[in-house]
Parts: sequence; structure tokens; C-alpha cells
Amino acid sequence: MARKCITTERGFKMSKDFIRNNIRRLRFNADEMTQQELADRVGASRQTIVAIEKGKYSPSLELAFKIALTFEVPIGDVFSYEPENK
Amino acid sequence: MSYREKENIVNIFSTLLITSVFAWKVYQKHLAGSIELNDNFQTWGIVFLIFAGVSIVARIVIYIIFHIINAIATREEDIPKEDERDKLIKLKATRNSHYTFSVGFFLAIIALAIGWPTYWLFILFVISGVISELIDNGSQMYYYRKGV
Repeated sequence: MARKCITTERGFKMSKDFIRNNIRRLRFNADEMTQQELADRVGASRQTIVAIEKGKYSPSLELAFKIALTFEVPIGDVFSYEPENK
Repeated sequence: MSYREKENIVNIFSTLLITSVFAWKVYQKHLAGSIELNDNFQTWGIVFLIFAGVSIVARIVIYIIFHIINAIATREEDIPKEDERDKLIKLKATRNSHYTFSVGFFLAIIALAIGWPTYWLFILFVISGVISELIDNGSQMYYYRKGV
């Protein structure tokens, strides 16, 4: 079974497939929203937001939607998926 | 270092401290002849129950002390709330811990089957309990550091 794979804008790679996120950029565009502010809004800890940004944690669908709703963008603008062989 | 990582380090030290101190006390009493541990199941049962009680109380005390020291050092009084990542990490760590204890349990049964004295069953239970606890906390630290 292929393992889930995560990478970010920073190029962090965990496995074969890629889930990229734009949270850092979206926070910047939202008046430099802090990680703590985002965490409070989506009901997660700051460490979890840090882990998602670094690609060390792949959030649940619910949390991913909450993040997208916070920035008022479609979920595809926050997270994108690219298989390795593409 | 995050609160959860520090909490796990404290748990590792408290597990080692409580178990080693309690085991040492019990062993000294056994040597002095005040308790007979060899094949007396009732005594083993009592020792395990006392250990459970002592362990819970000691952990609560250690946790309170840790929280006070952490609050003074970091000026953060609130304990971070547990979110989905924390729960997932705990779940995976518990899985690893249970696998470890299962191996210990199996080894204890093998020890009985090959004719080791019965008290080895209980000693191996304690050892596998401690190792599984260490695996639990160690796994959590690993997942917090390396990602889950």
C-alpha cells in the first residue's frame, strides 16, 4: 500500500505522494495572521498548525475545511495533491 | 520544546523512579523475610494492588509539581487543549505500547512453559509494563518530533 506523502512550499517531503499547503502565504495575506490566531479560530493547538505548515501532519478533512473557511477560500486553494509520478 | 514533549519526559522519569523505588523496597522486605514472594500468589496480588495505588498517587503529585514548575518557567498557566493531532499521536503510541506489553506477556507465558519459577511470571509482567510505558511516551515524543 502506498504511503501518504506530504510536502510543503518549503519542499519538505515525507513520502511518495505530495500534499502541498499554502497556509503560510494565506496567513501572510490575512494581515499576517499568527499561527496562534489561526489555531484558535479552527480549534487546534499552535503546534498542530506548525506541524501542518511544515508538512509533518496531514489534517483531517474537517480541520482542512475549517482552515479554508477561516481564509474564505476553497479548500483547493489551501491544500493541493500531486502524485509523485505526475 | 512543547508542553506535550515535556510531559512525556516527566512521565518517563516518573515511571522509572516510581517502579525502581517500589521494586527496591519490596525486594528489601523480601530479603528481610517480612514478605514471602516466591510462589505466594496472594502476596503478589497485594503487592501489585499497592503498587497501582502508590503509582497513581505519586504520578498525580509529580504531575502537579511539573505543572507548577512549567507555569513558573514559561508563564503559561493553561494546559494546551488536546486536539485531533494529539489524539492521533496518543492512539498510535498506545498501539505501540500494547504490542510491547503483548510480547512481554507472551514471554512470561513461555517462561512458565519452560519451567521457570512462577514468580518470574510477575517479574516479567512488571518489566514489560515498564517497557511498554516507556515505549508509549517515547513513541509520543517521536511522533511529535518527526510527524505523524
